[in-house]
Amino acid sequence: MTSFIIRRLIQTGIVITLLSFFCYLLMTLMPGDPVDLMISANPNITSEDIERLRALYGLDQPVLVRYWNWVSTILSGDLGYSRTYRVPVQELMGPRLINTFILSAAALLVSILIALPLGILAALKKGTRLDYSINMFAFTGISIPSFWLAIVLIIVFAIWIPLFPASGTRTVGVDLSFGELLFDRIRYLVLPVLSLSLMSIGTFVRFTRSAMIEAMANDYIRTARAKGLSWPRIIVIHGFRNALIPLITILALSFSGLFSGAIITETVFSYQGVGSLVYESIISNDFNVAMVAFMISVSMVLIFNLLADILYGVADPRISYS
Amino acid sequence: MRKIITSIFVFGLIVLTTVPTKSYSNLPTNEELQVGLSQEFENFNPMIMSMLATTWMYNMVGRTLMVLNEDAEWEPQLAKKIPSLENGLAERFTEDGVEKIRAVWEIVDNAKWGDGTDLTCRDFKFAREVALAPTVAITERETYEQVEEIIIDENNPRRCTFKYKEAKWNFNQIPKFYALPEHLERPIFEKYKEQPEGYEQHSLYTTSPTNPGLYNGPYVVTEMTLGSHTIFERNPYFFGGPAKINRIITKVISNTGTLEANLRSGTIDMISVLGMSFDQALAFNQRVQGRNLPYNVNFQPSLVYEHLDLNLDNPFLQDVRVRKALVYAIDRPGLTNALFGGKQPPAYHNLAPLDPWFTNDPKKIVVYPYRRREAARLLDDARWKLRNDGFRYNENGERLELTIMTTAGNQVRELVQVYLQDQWRSIGIRVRIQNEPPRVFFGQTTNRRRFTGVAMYAWVSSPESNPRSSLSCDRIPTEENGWSGQNYPGWCNERVTELLEKLDLEFDEQKRLNIIHEVLYHYTNEVPVIPLYYRSDISVTPINLRGYQLPGHQFSATNHVERWYLEDPKKMENR
Repeated sequence: MTSFIIRRLIQTGIVITLLSFFCYLLMTLMPGDPVDLMISANPNITSEDIERLRALYGLDQPVLVRYWNWVSTILSGDLGYSRTYRVPVQELMGPRLINTFILSAAALLVSILIALPLGILAALKKGTRLDYSINMFAFTGISIPSFWLAIVLIIVFAIWIPLFPASGTRTVGVDLSFGELLFDRIRYLVLPVLSLSLMSIGTFVRFTRSAMIEAMANDYIRTARAKGLSWPRIIVIHGFRNALIPLITILALSFSGLFSGAIITETVFSYQGVGSLVYESIISNDFNVAMVAFMISVSMVLIFNLLADILYGVADPRISYS
Repeated sequence: MRKIITSIFVFGLIVLTTVPTKSYSNLPTNEELQVGLSQEFENFNPMIMSMLATTWMYNMVGRTLMVLNEDAEWEPQLAKKIPSLENGLAERFTEDGVEKIRAVWEIVDNAKWGDGTDLTCRDFKFAREVALAPTVAITERETYEQVEEIIIDENNPRRCTFKYKEAKWNFNQIPKFYALPEHLERPIFEKYKEQPEGYEQHSLYTTSPTNPGLYNGPYVVTEMTLGSHTIFERNPYFFGGPAKINRIITKVISNTGTLEANLRSGTIDMISVLGMSFDQALAFNQRVQGRNLPYNVNFQPSLVYEHLDLNLDNPFLQDVRVRKALVYAIDRPGLTNALFGGKQPPAYHNLAPLDPWFTNDPKKIVVYPYRRREAARLLDDARWKLRNDGFRYNENGERLELTIMTTAGNQVRELVQVYLQDQWRSIGIRVRIQNEPPRVFFGQTTNRRRFTGVAMYAWVSSPESNPRSSLSCDRIPTEENGWSGQNYPGWCNERVTELLEKLDLEFDEQKRLNIIHEVLYHYTNEVPVIPLYYRSDISVTPINLRGYQLPGHQFSATNHVERWYLEDPKKMENR
C-alpha cells in the first residue's frame, strides 16, 4: 500500500507540472494580453507606454521564459502579485479560499446528511409512493437551474419574507462577539447553501438509491436475513457498506471541488469566494491568480482521487494494491 | 387539508404585507449610507489604480489639484486657483528654442493628510518622481511627464511652480496629477524602487490601506476587503470641513441582476453609477413609479459615445456613398425612443452635448436625418442595383453584404444590432451578425482591425480632449506600431491629422473651436464611423438623498461627496 501511495504521489507531481505548463500556454494563447486590455480601456495610452508596460510585466519574453519565471517564483514560496487587484496573491486568495471552503463544505454536509438517508429509504421502499416522491424531489433538484433557484430564494426569503440577507458573506461595519459572528455567518450561508445543496441532494439520492438497490439484491443479504440478523444491521453493515464503492467515487469528486468555488452561486449571492475571483482573473488575464487557482483545483482532484482509491480498499477488502 | 389551506393563506398574507410601498421608516439617515457597485476594485494607490470602481471610491478619500464639476466646468480642489495666462499665474517662455510654460500652483492652506500631516508641494513632487520611475507600472505617464520640473517656494512649501516641457493650451488641466504622502511612502519607494513593481507591492496602500495618512479627502478608509466592501469614515482633517454623512459603506454586488433585490431588501441603500445596465434601470424606473417605491432612478446623458466603426479596408465600404447610405437608412431618433424611452439621445458625432466643443449646427457639420429614399439613391449611384430577391448586387454579381460585430451578451447592443439589420435590409443590404466575448472583441478584433465590416462599441471621452488617438492617420493600429492607436476604421485624412496636431498648441479659444469644428465636418462628411447615441449614466438613490448630482462625465459624483446628506425620514413623513 505504501509503495502504491508513493507511486501515485510521484505521478500526481508529474501530472501537476505538465498540466501547469499546458494551462499557462493556453492562457497565453487567449486573445489579448493585460496591456491589450489596458489599451482598449484607455485611449491616452501611448505606444511608449505600451512598450514600457510590456517590458515591465515581462510580456515581451517568450512563453517558456515567462513560465520558468513563474515556476521559480512559486517554488520560492511566493505566489506572486495580482495585477488586477494590486495585492499579493496569497493575501487576495486566502480569505476567499476559506469562504469557499465554508460554503462548499456546508453545502456538501447538508447534501450528504439529507441525500443518504433519502436514497437508502427510496431503495428500501422501491416502487412505493414514497420512492416515487423521493425520486421526484431528486429530479426536481437536478433539473432546477441554480441561478434561477438562487434568485427565487432571494426574492422570497430576503425581500418578501426578510429572514435572510440577500447577499454578502457577513454583516459589515459592526463589531460582533464570537457567538454573534457565528450566528451572523450562518444567516448569510443559509440561502447560498440551500441553492447549492438542492442539486447535489438530487444527484446523491439517485446514486445512493441505485447502489443500495443493487447491494440489497445480493445473495449475502438473503443469507443475513436467514441468519436472523437485525434489519438495521443488515442495511448498514451488509447493504450500505457494499453500496459504498460508487458513492466514494462521486463523493471524492465532490470533495475535490471544495476549493474550486461555485461561480454562479457565489456571483448571485455576492459571496466573496474563490469561484468568481478565478473567473475574473481569467477574463482580465491575471495570470498569477488564475494559475494558483488552477493548481489548487488540479491538486485537489488528484489528491481526492488518490484518497478514493485508498478508501475503495477499506470499503471492500477484496480490492488490493499490493 | 385545512392545515395546508391555512398555511397558504398565512404565507399569502405575509407576502402581501411585506411587498414594499413608499416607506419612510426604512430610509437611510446621515448615520450611514450603503452603496452598491457591480464592479470590483483594486487598492487605492492613485499612481497605479486603473479600475473605474476604484476611481469612483478614491474620490471620497483623495483629492487632486482640480476637477471637472457637474456643469462640466473646471474648478480647483486642492489648488487655491487654477493658473492661467489670463490670471497671471502662468506665463509662456522660450528655453533652448522650445516654447514652454511656467505655472504657479498654490495648495489650500488647511490641506492635510488624514493623520494631520500638512499636504504640500513636496507630495506632488514625490508623486511625479514615483510616476517616472521605470519600475512603477503607471498606465498613463504622460500626465506627469508633461511637467519637466516642480520648483517649490522656499518660504512656502504649499506654493510651487510647474515647468511644462511644451506650451499647450490645456497645460492647466491636470486632474489626474495626484499627490502621494511623502512622509509615509518615501522610505518604501527608496527601498524598492530598483525592483520591478517593487514599490507598488510594498506600498502602504497595499500593505496597510486603513492608514489614515494615505488619504486627504472627506473620508478615510477604515476597513477594506477586496471583492467585498470598503468602509469610509469622516476624515477630521479634511480641508473642506466635515462631511455630512458619518459613514459610507460600498459593497460589491457583481451580479447586476440582483442589485434591485439587494436594494429592496435593504442590503444597500443606493446603486452607484457602476451598477445597473440601462435596460434594468428602465424596467426598475417603471416599477418605482408604478409601485411608488422610495427611490429616484437618475438618468444623465454622458460622454460615452456608442457608434459603429466601419472598416475602410472593406472594398464595399471604401465608397463614401455606401457609408452615407448606411447612415441615412438608420432612424436614430426612432431607435432611441423604441429601445431607450428617449433617455439616450441620438448622436451626431464623437463629441457629446456635455462637451463645450459640441456642435450640431448643420452649417458646420453634416447632419444625417432618417431618409431611406436618399440612402437608396446613393446606393443606386454607387451601382449597387436592387434585384428581385430584395438585395443589391454590383456589376461583378457580388451581393452587398456586411458583417456587424459587437460584444456578445450585451443585451442592449444585441437589440440595436437587430434594429440595424432590419433597417439596412429595407434598402437591400444583407447584414450578418457575428458577436464575440468582450475579451476577444476588444483584445484582438477591434484593436487589430480584424473586423471585416462594422464593429459596434463605445468610446468614453473627456470634455475638450484632442481626439488624435482615434482620428489621426498615424494612429491606425498596425503590427509595426505595436497595435497602438485607436483609429480602428483606418480612416486617414491628412488635413484632419494636421488640424489635430495644431489643436493642442492653439491658445486662442475661438481658433481652437474652428479647428475642432473643421475636424468634425470631415468626420461627419466622410463617415468613417456611424454615430448611434450618447449613453446615459444611471444611478439609483434613496428619495431623501440631497446634494447628489450625476455629472455624466468621468469625474464622478463622489468628487463632491462631502455635500451629500440624507434628509431626516421622520420630517419627510410629517410633511
